[in-house]
Amino acid sequence: MGLTDSVLPDPIKFVLNWGRRYSLWVFNFGLACCAIEFIATSMSRHDFIRLGVIPFAHGPRQADLMVVSGTVTDKMAPAVKRLYDQMPEPKYVISFGACSNCGGPYWDSYCVTKGVDQIIPVDVYVPGCPPRPEALLQGILRLQDKIAGEPVSLRGGSRGAAALTAPRVPGPP
Amino acid sequence: MSPEEVGSRLVELAGGADGGGASSVSFGGVTVDVPRSRWVQTVTAARDDPALALSSFDWLSAVDELEAGFDVVLHLWSVEHRHRALLRTRVPRDDPHLPSLVGVFAGASWHERETHEMFGLVFDGHPHLVPLLLPDGFIGHPLRKDFVLASRVAKEWPGAKEPGESHTGATRRRMRPPGVPDDWGPAAASASAGPADRPARGERPDRRARPPRNAPAAGEEAEVTPTPTPTETETETETADG
Repeated sequence: MGLTDSVLPDPIKFVLNWGRRYSLWVFNFGLACCAIEFIATSMSRHDFIRLGVIPFAHGPRQADLMVVSGTVTDKMAPAVKRLYDQMPEPKYVISFGACSNCGGPYWDSYCVTKGVDQIIPVDVYVPGCPPRPEALLQGILRLQDKIAGEPVSLRGGSRGAAALTAPRVPGPP
Repeated sequence: MSPEEVGSRLVELAGGADGGGASSVSFGGVTVDVPRSRWVQTVTAARDDPALALSSFDWLSAVDELEAGFDVVLHLWSVEHRHRALLRTRVPRDDPHLPSLVGVFAGASWHERETHEMFGLVFDGHPHLVPLLLPDGFIGHPLRKDFVLASRVAKEWPGAKEPGESHTGATRRRMRPPGVPDDWGPAAASASAGPADRPARGERPDRRARPPRNAPAAGEEAEVTPTPTPTETETETETADG
């Protein structure tokens, strides 16, 4: 047993995951009506800040949770992918609302991407049109449970190298 | 001025009834048909005429009337007199040109760009007639009636097929959207196939089967949606209860 093992021992895993799941910095990729519901969830009545999710990360480079809320159009899709790539690992995505889950009510449009999971990997889907703020709170709790169960390793990040969506950028020589 | 008075004054400015002008009143507003040759003149006169004073440009768009051509519709509002008018002109399908209204209303610029990319109409004299809303590389004019709605062909309409039906979900009837030719799309290939060849209920053929790129239909579109990356299937996903 030592830190060179592929999976760290349980107490360390518990502490690291505890720290990560209760201090999520969220970057709201708000595109449409669901963004308003996201904002409503951050306000005083429902308040996801008490769950540790601090909104308004200064940008994707300082965020570890991206909530895609609203309709993803084909024109916006490259921007979503680009900002997702700018987030450092470990990163999580919540797809909020029917439009980002699967295209939603606009699935048959000529310019709507049917689900943001066609572009980026999604951890939690929150259904609804728009989902109630309580649904987002439950989605965040589910995500926190999922993070708690993640194996922590010094090699390849929390999900392994195979889960990375972009090739590793080699460091300077 | 009442809608009828606005209509008759606009028909005068459009060259009279024998010049091709006509007006009709519906839902408390007047729609005036203007001959294409007098489009810019009439709009300028409508804006400058003191009795009409239709100086506020609201929107400009088009309607695809199939063989008859395109109807370009313009909505003007008068702030002084508080009346409105819809001005409409017919553009033939084989010659989809219309003089631009940018010289009359500068705000018409973006409306004409959008109408150009959605219908394929060309506005002569427009300073910068490039697509406004569609993504780069989009092929086709989406709001034309012969532009095939690919998603509805690839995936059936879920739920009740007719209004008033309850949501059974298991009806065998396959409805194609209106205007889609029979030989278009993946369903056409399996038209003679048995039930075993149909995609199972609940599957999304939209992702696997793309419409053929060299479809002969006039309204062809390039699928800009990228294919799903293989890493998604490895990431475990959970859904939260709504």
